[in-house]
Amino acid sequence: MAAFLVGVALLDGALAGFRAAAGRSALIGKRHYNLVAGRRGVTCSAALLLGLGAGLGIYVAVSENPAVSLAGLTAAGTRMAAVYLPYALIVLASLAGYFALPLRASSWTILVGLGPLTIARPFVAIAGGAVAVWHSAGFAVPVAAALAVTGVLAVEPLVHWRYYRDLAPVQSPG
Amino acid sequence: MTGECLEISDLITDCDPVTGQRKPVSSTSVLDLLGAAGDQRAARIVARIPTHHGVLDERAVDTLLVRVHTELQRLSEELRLGERMAEALRPLLAAIRSVPDEPIRIVDVGCGLGYVVRWLAATGALGPQTELVGVDLNAALVAEAERLAAAEGLHCQFRHADAFGRAIGGQLMISTGLLHHLRGSRLAEFFACHDQPDVRAFCHFDIAATRLAPLGARVFHQARMRQPLGRHDGVASARRAHSDAALLTAARSAGDFGLALFEPKRHASPFCATIRPVVGVRGDGMDRLRAQLGRRARWLRTPPEVTTQAVG
Repeated sequence: MAAFLVGVALLDGALAGFRAAAGRSALIGKRHYNLVAGRRGVTCSAALLLGLGAGLGIYVAVSENPAVSLAGLTAAGTRMAAVYLPYALIVLASLAGYFALPLRASSWTILVGLGPLTIARPFVAIAGGAVAVWHSAGFAVPVAAALAVTGVLAVEPLVHWRYYRDLAPVQSPG
Repeated sequence: MTGECLEISDLITDCDPVTGQRKPVSSTSVLDLLGAAGDQRAARIVARIPTHHGVLDERAVDTLLVRVHTELQRLSEELRLGERMAEALRPLLAAIRSVPDEPIRIVDVGCGLGYVVRWLAATGALGPQTELVGVDLNAALVAEAERLAAAEGLHCQFRHADAFGRAIGGQLMISTGLLHHLRGSRLAEFFACHDQPDVRAFCHFDIAATRLAPLGARVFHQARMRQPLGRHDGVASARRAHSDAALLTAARSAGDFGLALFEPKRHASPFCATIRPVVGVRGDGMDRLRAQLGRRARWLRTPPEVTTQAVG
């Protein structure tokens, strides 16, 4: 479960990095630019995950009953994943469609897929957090869910603020 | 209140079409126009642009427009506008060449940052015997387009010139997202400018006008644009899009050109993702274009009300 959520968070981080950089370089050849942006998103996401993971690890270790605490967090993570899994699958399907389908059909994947999904993303992230908190006891799950959702939503603005506030300088690539 | 839909980018710059000289734009006059149109949101966006003695700061306006156009390029990239243009131009070039590999100059009118011209140059999608030229009335956008092309070593040119000018010369005139900026009689006047001996064909892409296009544009620009000006004008451009019939009727002003829209019906979208070109080919070139298109010739569409008065 943890591995799935970490994987989704890192993938989301890569896409958030891409979005943070999008619209800031008007060069035609942007493969390297986009790869760097994705890497920055993943790095930012990984750093936030590391912080959250360390905090949760300490909480479990020092709690009165580590097994119960871990079970509570795992159950919350499972509920969270139930919300994120369908969304992630639709995003991946849309991306696959965009790259694999012919010219005009790929436009449809943006119109009915990637565009609305980008707008829906914060709401899905919050919904995942809310479902994780549902029926949970104590303060750990609400705090962890709030931090996780905030972290996910913070990657794009953080990467944008750190690296892409201004237009990319125009220089020869490579 | 006129209720007329206006685009901010049309209002905050002004140039002499003959000399290309920048003219000062009064902030108050722009705000008055937007107020009369009942567009308070646009007025708030304009009110944030720095002024000097009541005149919009040219440098601030240029910086803003370059940022907006850079964001706009992202949309062009997502909609694969370069590929769409190349798909339309390849058969068009074959149809208008008098001999194979005859050099043809393609002029992108109102090119902005010249995305399509630079994409065509970078990919070589149209082969070596094409000269690619972009023209725009905004000198700042032209300068940025030149800088971008130079940075990637692309073989294309950019000129500071008016869309209505006849001095650039070219056999194939193209544009993307220009036509909806031309209101009233100016649309027909623009097409009339194609009535020159050198011009053999044109291919102008613009947003298809549908009821849901503004909604689609709102979703798309909200998801993809950061600049409030870009978000505003993106929706306004969908609201201002010309109907198929209006485009083809205006295009008749070009003179002896066979006319059609080029888009498969099954992909016609009620949203703004549909961008389709109006295509014109001089004389009997439309028959050669149909031959070049093969099965795709059925994508050429002419509304009945225009067919009855068709030219060419």
